[in-house]
Amino acid sequence: MRVSYYPGCTLSTKARGYDRSGRAVAAALGVELVELPEWQCCGATFPLATDNSLALIAPTRVLYQAEQAGEQVAALCAICYHVLKRTQTTLERDLEMRERINWFTEQEYQGRVRVVHLLELLRDEPGWDGLAERVTRPLKGLRAAPYYGCLLLRPYDEIRLDDPESPTILHDLLRALGAEPVDFPYNVECCGSYITVKEPKISETMSRDIVASAREHGAQVIVTACPLCQFNLDYPQRETEFGRSGEEIPVVYFTQLMAVALGLPEEDWGLEEYYVDPRPLFRD
Amino acid sequence: MATAFELDLTFGREVQTRSGAPVLRCYFCQKCTAGCPVAYAMDYKPAQVLRLIQLGQRDVVLSSSAIWLCVGCEACGTRCPNQIRLAPMFDTLRYMALEEGYSPDPAVYALHRSFLDSIRLWGRVHELTMLMEYKLRSPFGSDLLADIRVGLTLLLKGKITHLPERVRGLAQVRRLYKEAERRSSTEVET
Repeated sequence: MRVSYYPGCTLSTKARGYDRSGRAVAAALGVELVELPEWQCCGATFPLATDNSLALIAPTRVLYQAEQAGEQVAALCAICYHVLKRTQTTLERDLEMRERINWFTEQEYQGRVRVVHLLELLRDEPGWDGLAERVTRPLKGLRAAPYYGCLLLRPYDEIRLDDPESPTILHDLLRALGAEPVDFPYNVECCGSYITVKEPKISETMSRDIVASAREHGAQVIVTACPLCQFNLDYPQRETEFGRSGEEIPVVYFTQLMAVALGLPEEDWGLEEYYVDPRPLFRD
Repeated sequence: MATAFELDLTFGREVQTRSGAPVLRCYFCQKCTAGCPVAYAMDYKPAQVLRLIQLGQRDVVLSSSAIWLCVGCEACGTRCPNQIRLAPMFDTLRYMALEEGYSPDPAVYALHRSFLDSIRLWGRVHELTMLMEYKLRSPFGSDLLADIRVGLTLLLKGKITHLPERVRGLAQVRRLYKEAERRSSTEVET
């Protein structure tokens, strides 16, 4: 199966390990992610005020490019996914808005393309049982805390990936890989997002609560689908006060655990760039 | 400073219409405040902002720091028993504050400007130049040296590249910017 792929700015720079492992595991499962031939930034925030249609232009331009290429476009970055999916939903419901944006961009976006997260794609094909069958190196005994954050799930009305308060999609994936998903109360809490640039102290407090909670519940690793969550949870453990006070816990993308469990070579794991090094967990 | 009872009875309706969030429905259960990860840093908590809107306190709300702290995680809107989505409400309040001449939190504004400028220049976000611009735009005692440390670590880890990528459709991206700016009424200078 070939599916168009929108990497987004962060996956081509800061989160290259996510991109690399994502492409590798998809390929191993028979899904070829074909990067859109031409793409720009999605805008990274979805416009919320009803009269702010300008901010829909960037994501619509992406959807237009995707529509030329096929029926679906896959994203890995939770932020890009959030923005593109909500734009798709909005322009499905609001035809007047779609016309206005098309008039502005001078491109005819028809509203046919469907935005999917790689998690959704794999849940449907090969499915969790199918995935479990392809695991060659089960992550036996690995206690992994699935951390969903906010943008992947909310608002449910427009995203509809999973339950916004008690999601299970990452839990199911981890079970298929042979790992033991660790429930912890902060798993749908926000990490602070871009507030980390402006108010690092606030963001650090938020990350500290999340990391501490995962650790108290016995997790050995935190699993995420969002590059900003990865940074916000990983970086302060090394570079600020709170990390030095307790044990560290690595923060990885779900695709990286998949790469390990599917027996892909170490360069496909993309695990070498983190503050808290996750690799010792996977060395026999 | 607003005196205690300067009522603006149009305020609530205006916020409701522009945000699509039925803010007048709130009966103050405070679930939003309880679940908000940044509430502790706000001058008025999310539920208090709702109540101030209902009480027509335009000036108090639009000059509060709370409206600039919401990051739109949508925890509040997901949990509200009255289906009030506070994230669109906060976004609307930020627009209203800009339109009515309240000065935005300079750091937030600098961040948003730098982000937009990065895309205008390259079509994609380039963290290094974006954050450099942000730092230069924020002369308000920001800790430049601390951030140089973060930047250097990221560069050394190969996490941010020295040179930005440019996209092929850049000419169109820039044309869209020009058009958008011509139409935008919320452009402010700091």
